[in-house]
Amino acid sequence: MPGEADDVAVLTGKTSAERFSEVVLPHLSDALALARWLTGNADDAEDVVQEACLKAYKGLATYAGGNARAWLLTIVRNASYAWLARNHPRRIVAVGDLADLDALAADADTDAGTPEAALIAKADAAALETAITLLPHPFREVLVLRDVNGLGYREIATMLHVPLGTVMSRLSRARALLAAQLGGSR
Amino acid sequence: MELPSDPADLQLLLHALVDGELDAATTLALERRLVEDPALAAEHARIAALQTAVRNLPRPDVSDAFQARIAALGVAPQAAARPASAHSAWLGWRAMAASILVTAVLTSGLTQWAMTRNAPDSFAAAVASSHRRSLLAASPVDVASSDRHTVKPWLDARIGLSPAAPDLAKDGFSLLGGRVEVIADKPVPALVYKHREHLITLVAAPQDGRTASIPAGAERAAGGFSLIRWADGAFTYWAISDTDRATLEDFVNRFREAAAAG
Repeated sequence: MPGEADDVAVLTGKTSAERFSEVVLPHLSDALALARWLTGNADDAEDVVQEACLKAYKGLATYAGGNARAWLLTIVRNASYAWLARNHPRRIVAVGDLADLDALAADADTDAGTPEAALIAKADAAALETAITLLPHPFREVLVLRDVNGLGYREIATMLHVPLGTVMSRLSRARALLAAQLGGSR
Repeated sequence: MELPSDPADLQLLLHALVDGELDAATTLALERRLVEDPALAAEHARIAALQTAVRNLPRPDVSDAFQARIAALGVAPQAAARPASAHSAWLGWRAMAASILVTAVLTSGLTQWAMTRNAPDSFAAAVASSHRRSLLAASPVDVASSDRHTVKPWLDARIGLSPAAPDLAKDGFSLLGGRVEVIADKPVPALVYKHREHLITLVAAPQDGRTASIPAGAERAAGGFSLIRWADGAFTYWAISDTDRATLEDFVNRFREAAAAG
């Protein structure tokens, strides 16, 4: 596979090592953050990101320019789920039945324990981290991509292959679930 | 600028306002509404507080050692074939020991472990992992339609080839749509059918002319799924599902009949 990356290098006049360091290395922090939240563990995140970066290197030929961060994060996301499926299949909340997720989110929406803004602002980091880790993956990934990685709605929709409206409703539900969780832990 | 009257839609706009995703006209209208509506303003403040709290969470450090390790991938990627760290090497050893211990009761689990470890590049494993990914994804299809006159042109427009896509709803296999998979570095069309609660992914790889026809039944299990492979005309097909083998065979027979009938 290095051969393919080198072919691209010939076209662009850069070695694949140079391209790799331009496209991948600036986004390691974002990659680690995403992998940390999807796998639930900072140590595992390093392994997952390393695996993803190797895939990114092999796939440099498929990177057509544009948003390098979103491109890398897509690979990191896939690597995270592959890693989870391999190591902790039971941690994955499959989206086999979206109706279940909707019911889950609806419960949170009607939860009377939704705290006020001031209380949320005072919530300690540990409680918030726990609450995020408890989010089902489809909600968690949208929240992390938006609020931790800072991607826009359209970038997230493109990355997840879902309509923009789905990104918006999942984000809204993710935050409702988080707020309810923080309210319940008072 | 009319704001939506549905509270759920208004809620989505509040999030979009906090995320800076609204155009100027909608922002203005929504900000005016917030002044008049204290409950909505409290919700807005809550969303903003939550976002600030999540943003302020500590981010994982990119240690110098890790940065150096990744940078080295760009120079000598094969070096990364060894375990990432002592930590993961130990975990790998532990996983292996555990697998050996439970072989007797978890044969299928071990098979999956062995497949993903030993044959990551094989086409079957790639088909299996793409199927598994599609089960995790929000939507298993990129173009959702039970109408082959929608699915075929969509695939044609994207990758310039499309297999027959008959809707087999009358046989209990409804066409959900299609997507593009990248397997062995080539984009290939994939159709998704639904049978009861099970999804069936049908990957169609164009034949390169060397193999004329492979009879159905060259099947095996890949990654814990049932897999059947056959070739007809221009394509080699891979049908994969978590449904039982008999059902998958039934699907393959019906698909071949319908595809041959055109």
